Amino acid sequence: MFPRFTFNITHITGALTPWCRFTVFAVFFPSDLNTMNKEARLKATINQKLTETGERERLKELLRAKLTECGWKDQMKAQCKEVIKEKGLEHVTVEDLVVEITPKGRALVPDSVKKELLQRIRAFLTQHAS
Amino acid sequence: MKMEEVSMSSLDNSKLEALAQDILSDLVEDACLGLCFEVHRAVKQGYFFLDDTDQESMRDFEIVDEPGLDVFGQVYNQWKNKECVCPNCSRSIAASRFAPHLEKCLGMGRNSSRIANRRIVTGNNTNNKSESDQEDNDDVNDNDWSYGAEKKAKKRKSDKVIVINLFSYNKG
Repeated sequence: MFPRFTFNITHITGALTPWCRFTVFAVFFPSDLNTMNKEARLKATINQKLTETGERERLKELLRAKLTECGWKDQMKAQCKEVIKEKGLEHVTVEDLVVEITPKGRALVPDSVKKELLQRIRAFLTQHAS
Repeated sequence: MKMEEVSMSSLDNSKLEALAQDILSDLVEDACLGLCFEVHRAVKQGYFFLDDTDQESMRDFEIVDEPGLDVFGQVYNQWKNKECVCPNCSRSIAASRFAPHLEKCLGMGRNSSRIANRRIVTGNNTNNKSESDQEDNDDVNDNDWSYGAEKKAKKRKSDKVIVINLFSYNKG
């Protein structure tokens, strides 16, 4: 996941020979790079800590339990049935399901579940601040 | 890469919040993927549609939600007001009280002998008329082999009563 940043694109001036063509996508100022690197590093460290302490697994299990409890799983299964009926039982692939189901799944997660998970994640982040 | 370099205090709350949201969306995506794999496997192994039945039988066995009925649609306090005739004392007893009454009436339950003994000791302190009726029945229904034992028990109990009374006189 590339962090969301605005960056300034500047012109590159230099000795250009006529037969030299190159494409510039973007130029980053050193300060931008520094912040980006810092955040990317932080994110990587946090992810590592999450996995190391086992918190990521616990959060996954908690999320799964909550989603089953609140009926999200059954809703999603009904959606899957629709997709299967559409594509045919024999020819449905994982890709079909993923493409159809993931956006709906993301949208249908109830707010209470989201809030609770976010609370736990925030608690973890503040606890593991250096 | 040391943790000291990347201090959380240098970030403001919005960045922290964004990080938390990212982690949450990762987790949700994991859950969705897991579900997709589970469903796909069920479809390919052929057990996805197993728990569905046809619409008609679904309607037949639907859960009933009306007052006065249980989930199967049966009336559940149907037998509350019915009365049964006791084969022993030929009285008409309410259905829900029938089993305890029969226990005492026949003198065969756990409590019936205890109650009988207790009544012998306390004598006239009976709660209601029906219990004194049952006392007579208990005596009538005693078997021969236990009658002797109860007689001895009665004697001992009366001895005890006399002794206790003497005690109380002394104290007074």
